[in-house]
Amino acid sequence: MTVKPVVVIGLGNPLMGDEGIGIRLVAELAALAEHFPDTEFLDLGTSGMAVVHALAGRRKAILLDCAFMREAPGTLRRFAPEEVRSGKIERSFTMHEGDLLQFLELARVLGDAPDDIVLFGIEPEGVSPGEGLSATLAARVGEYAEAILAELIGPARD
Amino acid sequence: MSKTATTVDIDVHHVTRIEGHGNIRVRARDGAVLQAEWQVPEAPRFFEAMVRGRRWDEMQLITSRICGICSMSHSLASLKATEEALGIAISPQTDTLRQLAMYGEQIESHVLHVGYLVAPDLLGVKSVVPLVASHPDLVKVVIRLHKLGNDIMELLGGRRTHPVALRPGGFGKLPTEGELRQMGQWLEAEIPDLKTLASAVLSLAEKVPAFTRATEYIALVAPGEYPLIHGAIGSTDTADPVPVQQYQSVVNEYVTAQSTAKWTKWHRDAYAVGALARYNLNADYLLPIAKETAKAFGLTRGCANPYLNSVAQVVETAHCFEHSLQLLDALLTAGIKAETPRVKPKAGSGVGAVEAPRGILFHDYTFDENGLCTAANMVIPTNQNHANLQADIEALVPQVLDRPQEEIRLLLEMLVRSYDPCVSCSTHFLDVEFV
Repeated sequence: MTVKPVVVIGLGNPLMGDEGIGIRLVAELAALAEHFPDTEFLDLGTSGMAVVHALAGRRKAILLDCAFMREAPGTLRRFAPEEVRSGKIERSFTMHEGDLLQFLELARVLGDAPDDIVLFGIEPEGVSPGEGLSATLAARVGEYAEAILAELIGPARD
Repeated sequence: MSKTATTVDIDVHHVTRIEGHGNIRVRARDGAVLQAEWQVPEAPRFFEAMVRGRRWDEMQLITSRICGICSMSHSLASLKATEEALGIAISPQTDTLRQLAMYGEQIESHVLHVGYLVAPDLLGVKSVVPLVASHPDLVKVVIRLHKLGNDIMELLGGRRTHPVALRPGGFGKLPTEGELRQMGQWLEAEIPDLKTLASAVLSLAEKVPAFTRATEYIALVAPGEYPLIHGAIGSTDTADPVPVQQYQSVVNEYVTAQSTAKWTKWHRDAYAVGALARYNLNADYLLPIAKETAKAFGLTRGCANPYLNSVAQVVETAHCFEHSLQLLDALLTAGIKAETPRVKPKAGSGVGAVEAPRGILFHDYTFDENGLCTAANMVIPTNQNHANLQADIEALVPQVLDRPQEEIRLLLEMLVRSYDPCVSCSTHFLDVEFV
């Protein structure tokens, strides 16, 4: 089975307010999939380990996720995994709360990760039970999608 | 801070932005246990409020988002509850395809648990990442087996996680015979990896702590079957199974001071659900390779060592392979037949019960005449294990109090991990600092 060289992965839960931003964005972008024949758009929900499989064999991966970055709510930041360190403190009690950065590290040490991994983090206004984004994020979905499209279309900005 | 030899003070505390994590709190002085608690805040009860007012054909799509690891289990429990409430019958073909999807999830989840949570403990490291350097072949085996489970769920569920192809009454999109043949080939190709994983765990079995506590085990039971999506509620404490519709008389939810999650009990103060519970109730119906695997580990019915839940998971994984191949053969011999589920909404109530990887899971829905949900109750396996985990901690701590504090802490963490509790599983945000 051949995999497309580029993958855009949305992560999160649309039933937890702004935690669903990654899922909303990947759905918006997937609607344009016909323009990107070399790109696969994946909604991986809250299954972090699936990211490891989804990265295998790719040239480039773009991950979209809600991110606590100590920024103003609604802020979008583009970064590489090595530009950040995780603020999560984990006891590894369970596989249910995996840290995306750790999954990316696992994929890297396995030799399965593309060299080019870009994360788009969006600072939430609220992560709590409830469907739909906050007004702050909802108003900027188009802007976020454009930033990600620019990443897909244009040369890397590094 | 140094501790005196006679004082034990363990506080494994989760610090995150979202409630939903478990803490271990143990204090002892001069050989007397002052506190030994499993503290856990509420699990995802809020989904019950969220589905109220939603249509019958939206329930599975919503509830599959409760968990990123057992989304298939929630999907199937949800579909069964909806189907019972609306009086929808499913074909044997649909039932078989659902069993296959469930086996995919069990493989995915069990392999993840054994490979990523338990193996690092047994090999003395903190996570799976260092194992890539020290045990690269084992990690790759785990990755391949996990991917197999994921691929099976994607093939049948129509999406890698949170399935979209399953519907009340049947499938929105049926797999083709070619796809099912391919699934069989995937399974056959992964049998050597399955054996490698079982051998690796077996070689570490002596490191599994020897601790037992007489326990009531609860799981679905069905005549002649090792059931995951059929049957009634069985217990090791009674010979009389209870219909799933009467699950409230089994779970007997109650509130404790140390937890905002509801706990459960039936014949005793606590009961356990999960792979070991299923094994203890249904081991006679495992297929041959699974039975041989259990024999190799010395696992027998009546086992009451919670740490051996992971061994029961390895045994079940073998069973999932074997039965999947049998079911695929039967499906392909009969041929896949097109079906169009037709549903007319009506008022009613229904309960769906399945064996999620972590244990028995109940969804209970009521719909009005338009097929809108008016009430929902979900009892997840992890909530049913809380009281049992507490009882295990209370029994274990006095037995190991003379050991170094770090060793006690590790034993307790491993105990929690053996249950693989589903805490705060509904979010996936990043939390980062720029460096």
